[in-house]
Amino acid sequence: MPTFVYMTNCDGCGECVDICPSDIMHIDPTHRRAYNIEPNFCWECYSCVKACPQNAIDVRGYSDFAPLGHSVRTIRDEEKATIQWKIKFRDGREKNFESPIRTTPWGSIKSASDYEAPGQGDINSQELAHEPAGLNIDELPALTRDQLKQGVM
Amino acid sequence: MFTSNPFAELSAFLPASAMQIYIVLMIIAVFVGTVADMLHKNSAKYFAQRQKKSQAAATRKLSGGEKASLAIKTIVVEVATAGEFCNVQRRISHLMMFYGFITYLVTTIIMIFAYPTHATPTPAIIPLLWNIGVILLLIGGYWFFFLLRVNVAKDGQPVFRLVMADLFIVTLLGSATFAFAWEIVQASGDLTATKIVFGFYILFTTLLFGSVRWSKLAHMFFKPVVAFQRRVEEASGASSLPSTHNERS
Repeated sequence: MPTFVYMTNCDGCGECVDICPSDIMHIDPTHRRAYNIEPNFCWECYSCVKACPQNAIDVRGYSDFAPLGHSVRTIRDEEKATIQWKIKFRDGREKNFESPIRTTPWGSIKSASDYEAPGQGDINSQELAHEPAGLNIDELPALTRDQLKQGVM
Repeated sequence: MFTSNPFAELSAFLPASAMQIYIVLMIIAVFVGTVADMLHKNSAKYFAQRQKKSQAAATRKLSGGEKASLAIKTIVVEVATAGEFCNVQRRISHLMMFYGFITYLVTTIIMIFAYPTHATPTPAIIPLLWNIGVILLLIGGYWFFFLLRVNVAKDGQPVFRLVMADLFIVTLLGSATFAFAWEIVQASGDLTATKIVFGFYILFTTLLFGSVRWSKLAHMFFKPVVAFQRRVEEASGASSLPSTHNERS
């Protein structure tokens, strides 16, 4: 069920290009609008659908799997921190769902680029980048030497 | 320099009627290009289909007053303030180009038709507005060209790798850049240099208005219509998006 773009709604902001984990959302050289360059490689993660500020991306169901005339649309509401779905069946029935997706305000989580870049000396550290501050702890728990199992002498 | 009519100076080597005929030809070129673009893309046909579908899917009928209110909202939000752009920098750049281009275009037409020679002195405000329009267009345009084009900013393409989508911005910037350069060179009094730079100005301007069939200049006409249709779909319940979203907007 690959994604496709409604060209009249897309304003070419590139949010989908940034977020696509398969790197298959690119910019069309004729109209400077987003498009899916390789639908076969789309794993229907809906990341671009939810990230698109213009709601210009939709997912097309394969005809043998989803009947023609159906519609599955979704919106990520950053203010309410919810995902909303609208499912339209071929017989005209509609279902609306709304699910919470997080408990902290949108944008409150620091991204990797907000932290200071690691220095050359950090290459010898056992800690990964931004640890332990990135984990919201003062110090990583670790076994002390006397807690280690003694080998057979 | 910025308060004198650059087109009046042209009478030194070009009859006033030549520029007037040129403007008429460019208006015809834009009209023909827009119609050819619509026929090629079948955009009118697909738009009519979309309207028909949305009418069938509508859960309530909109009154004339509601439609008028949506039309006013479209003009204020989408047309006058480019509200559909989510990226603030792109919105500012687009507005600079939009208002710069409109000012540049309108004042050019006024100067060529109403004040073609020195026999009819031009009020200083018109050339001044022409210059302000050109400068706005150049700032917004070069900002967009070097930093904001999505294929460069997000897709990682080199700045100078030009694609078909760049036809409009390149010809627009070419026209405005050479218009400004021509005015400066003309003020220096060098007739040969003036003729050369003016030639480039005419070349890029002709490319700008003559390439409507392939460029995106016609989006100025289509965009408000599509934006209004989207608002009508949301208000009439024909939108396929979740209803809680429609209630808020």
